[in-house]
Amino acid sequence: MGDAVIEPKKGLGSERRGLRVAEVIRAGESFDAEVHAELADEPEILRADTFSLWYGESRALYDISMKLPRGKVTALIGPSGCGKSTLLRSVNRMNDLVDGVRVDGEIRLEGESIYDPRVDVIELRKRLGMVFQKPNPFPMSIFENVVYPLRIDGERRKGVLAQACERALRQAALWDEVKDRLKQSALGLSGGQQQRLCIARAIVADPEVLLLDEPCSALDPVATMRIEELISEIAERYTVLIVTHNMQQAARVSNFTAFMYLGRLVEYGPSEAIFSRPILPETEQYVTGRFG
Amino acid sequence: MSTTSPNPDRHQRRTPISAHGEPAMWVTAGALILCLALILGLAIVIVWRGGSTFLVRPVHEVTLADGTVFLGSPFESEAVPGEDGQTRRRYRVGNRDLGQDSYRWVRSDEIASIATPSDGVMVERREWGVFFGRIQRVYLIREQEYEPGAGGPADGERVNTDFGPATVRVIQESETEDGDRRVLAHLVLADDAPEARGIFGHVHDTVLDRRASIESLNRHRVPLLQERLSRLEWKRRGIERRTGASRREVMPVWTWGLTALATIATGLGAARLSRMVPRGSRKYGLRVLSMAAAILCAMGVLGVVTEHPWSDDSIPVERASELIADIDADRARLSEELGRVLEEINARRERLDRVRVVIVEPTGGRFSPLSVSEPGEPMAVADVVRVVAANDLGLAGKLRVYLARWWEFLSDRPRANGAEGGVFPVIVGTVTLTLLLTVAVVPLGVISALYLREYARQGIVTSLIRIAINNLAGVPSIVYGMFGLGFFCYGLGGWVDSGPANAAPRGFWWGLVGLTGVIVLGGVISVMFAARRPGRPATAVNRFAGALAWVMWLSAAGLAVYLVSSTPYFDGWFTEKLPERPTFGGRGILWASLTLALLTLPVVIVATEEAISAVPNSIREGSIASGASRWQTIRRVVLPGALPGIMTGAILAMARGAGEVAPLMLVGAVNFTQSSPVSAEAPFLHGDRTFMHLGFHIYNLGFQSPDSQATEPLVWTTTLLLVAIVVALNLAAVMIRAKLRGKHGAAI
Ligand SMILES: Nc1ncnc2c1ncn2[C@@H]1O[C@H](COP(=O)(O)OP(=O)(O)OP(=O)(O)O)[C@@H](O)[C@H]1O
Ligand SMILES: [Mg+2]
Repeated sequence: MGDAVIEPKKGLGSERRGLRVAEVIRAGESFDAEVHAELADEPEILRADTFSLWYGESRALYDISMKLPRGKVTALIGPSGCGKSTLLRSVNRMNDLVDGVRVDGEIRLEGESIYDPRVDVIELRKRLGMVFQKPNPFPMSIFENVVYPLRIDGERRKGVLAQACERALRQAALWDEVKDRLKQSALGLSGGQQQRLCIARAIVADPEVLLLDEPCSALDPVATMRIEELISEIAERYTVLIVTHNMQQAARVSNFTAFMYLGRLVEYGPSEAIFSRPILPETEQYVTGRFG
Repeated sequence: MSTTSPNPDRHQRRTPISAHGEPAMWVTAGALILCLALILGLAIVIVWRGGSTFLVRPVHEVTLADGTVFLGSPFESEAVPGEDGQTRRRYRVGNRDLGQDSYRWVRSDEIASIATPSDGVMVERREWGVFFGRIQRVYLIREQEYEPGAGGPADGERVNTDFGPATVRVIQESETEDGDRRVLAHLVLADDAPEARGIFGHVHDTVLDRRASIESLNRHRVPLLQERLSRLEWKRRGIERRTGASRREVMPVWTWGLTALATIATGLGAARLSRMVPRGSRKYGLRVLSMAAAILCAMGVLGVVTEHPWSDDSIPVERASELIADIDADRARLSEELGRVLEEINARRERLDRVRVVIVEPTGGRFSPLSVSEPGEPMAVADVVRVVAANDLGLAGKLRVYLARWWEFLSDRPRANGAEGGVFPVIVGTVTLTLLLTVAVVPLGVISALYLREYARQGIVTSLIRIAINNLAGVPSIVYGMFGLGFFCYGLGGWVDSGPANAAPRGFWWGLVGLTGVIVLGGVISVMFAARRPGRPATAVNRFAGALAWVMWLSAAGLAVYLVSSTPYFDGWFTEKLPERPTFGGRGILWASLTLALLTLPVVIVATEEAISAVPNSIREGSIASGASRWQTIRRVVLPGALPGIMTGAILAMARGAGEVAPLMLVGAVNFTQSSPVSAEAPFLHGDRTFMHLGFHIYNLGFQSPDSQATEPLVWTTTLLLVAIVVALNLAAVMIRAKLRGKHGAAI
């Protein structure tokens, strides 16, 4: 395996044989993802090498091999239950919290395998920010919520904390709305504000990669718009991996899109290519809403 | 298919009676109302009966058909069973020292007349309860010797006294051996009923002031001196014990120095080795070696601390006799001072006791005696607490007496086994106990619940533990009392007082220390192999090593407990006071609160577990994903979120502990004690002292009092007070909880 896997490959799609992926998977034949050639030139920050994951007996991910381009927004799309969240949670090892999880293969952050026993998982998580599907503010003040990652690092200086808080809230486009009520409970914010608060919390400690798991699914269209704008803005500074069910959103905010299906990576390429001229018919059907 | 065509085969539905009018609703609502009524009834009964104890009741002078007259306060009346139109009434008649019961039933057909004389009073006394009568005379006794020809008092002469002008009445005159004239005279301040009451009031105030100053001397100065004296005695005993040859040979300085050096070297080595093996490294040999060095270093530290050459605390004989001479001198000085103080107190008391009052009851014309053994002597004014001329008082006056009695009840100490006086020290004991138990139970319970819910892998074992904890809540409380007495008072307390009952020989002890070290090392190694590889499920080796680690830790903990309990290096902190005065080796408030803490532990654990599991998992994940460790997540997110629920558990524990009586009787509550568990002297909180407790006090008043009839109203009042204190503690906790909730926002 190794480097060869992420090279553009001739997969099923090149033959344009109609809807074959599901059949191939059902037949248990081996199957390689369609990875577009444009990805080859991108510098990588994170990569998975034939990464598989089992929840107990049931397998959720099958030999995922993909790389995450540095400083770009990558979207993960696919039907419900295809393993997008699982893949995302494998990156910061949140799956360690689930009993009976087993993995195979590697995920590397800056070339270092994150499943190596020598890795300090807490250090690892500090390099990755994560935002969940449902806003999960802590039951404390807005200020304390935002600076939480700094607090647990032992930061006590008021000035540093206040500065970091303001910067993160500004980046999360929340500053103007909450600057007068930083001391109030975060639970009093609206859903959209809470989600932006969680984004501020995820970026306050300058992570290398930002993992977003359907960050807009609980929000109304206006709040979604704001978060999308926000993602485009912060994409200049961070590498972003975002899971979404909203095709327009994926098309709007992401540079690259990966289509997953039944625990496999099926097609991976620049977003405009995936959404306008995908190689596989499955991808086309999914992004146009006729499949999945 | 037509809906209108009747189908002859269609099943005919009917509505049974039970479906009409929702009978179930009426039954359930009825049950609820019954419950509420019972609870409300309980509250009303306690408040009404407890609150009416101190009401001022009129004083009736009842003349019976047979000509007897008595004074008393009317209580309830009731119909005589089986006799139409007949009622009987209960009178409180007091005067127990004259040989009658406190209460008396009188049938209405026995009564000839009832009057409410304005000079009829109820006198509350320090001993023997109340006395109903009329104040007749107030006088001072003076006994003096006069030289022949020096004059002296004459009958009928007017003289001035501290309490005002008085008339001399010579009672007895005699001649002493040296020819002096000895005169025993009464200086009569007042001699007829209406005037006597006014003068008595004035005299009584002055006497009470003087009495208070004597009592404060007696209550503060005397115990202080006594305490100092006994401290000197214990110091002396300590010196005697340490006099002469040392009791065990001590390591020579150079051996000890070498041990210390070796310990430091091992410590450094351990640090160096542990730096060579980073986290997750597979160099198991080196890791084990570094742990072994660390354990060895810890054992070395233990040895260096216990065996240091200065651990010989023996005192040379000459030095000891010097010290003892000093102590003896101090003791002589203190005893002399104590004697002087006691003498002064006695003298002042005697002087005060010469102020007398004659209070006459109408039945036999007898007066309230000085004491039961001296029925011929009228009582001392100093023994009167309060005179209530109920018939003469307006509403405001009655209210004043009512409040004054409440105040006395709340602020005074009990007299006559609690039948008189107040319950202040009892309140102090109850509140101190409750606070101590809360302080002990909450951290322990919360930490246990944290492990059970946040760290432990949920499975059969945790379920079993939960069941066991819940069952613990159902164990009769007296069982906890027995356990507390055996384990805390005699076991732990005995250890604190005098060290291990049978200390292990030093060689054996150190052997066990070594064994413990080996087991700890085994535990460390097991833990190393119990750790799963990230992303891999536990292998058989992991699981076996995990189980082994538990076994090792538990046996190491057991060994550690044994090592501490049989250490040859500890002789107790209070050996000097033994055997006659155990300090912690007996009943006391510390052990009592720990016993109650154990009793209320299940409440706290269950409540905390519930509160913790109510904290949503998404919040935990958010914290972990932010890079927080498990403990940081618990500390900063889970605990604050669970705090209101934990407070609820603490409140429940408090309420349960405050109302518990049975175990306290075994581990520290007493019916009377002079000393208080909290005081102004260091260390302010005296865990070794016994205490009084409201629940136990109620029991004593109701069942142990020589005159339970008379104390019944007080039982109600004390009950009311206990309920009020529990409610107050709960309210305080509820308020704190509400505040916390407000601080952390809604939801959890
Ligand atoms: N904790 C778990 N234990 C067992 N199986 C799980 C667990 N979490 C997820 N799975 C299974 O793994 C598969 C992938 O789940 P995952 O949550 O990654 O899907 P997803 O692509 O994020 O779906 P969605 O779009 O609905 O969020 C599903 O079949 C799911 O049932
Ligand atoms: Mg998902």
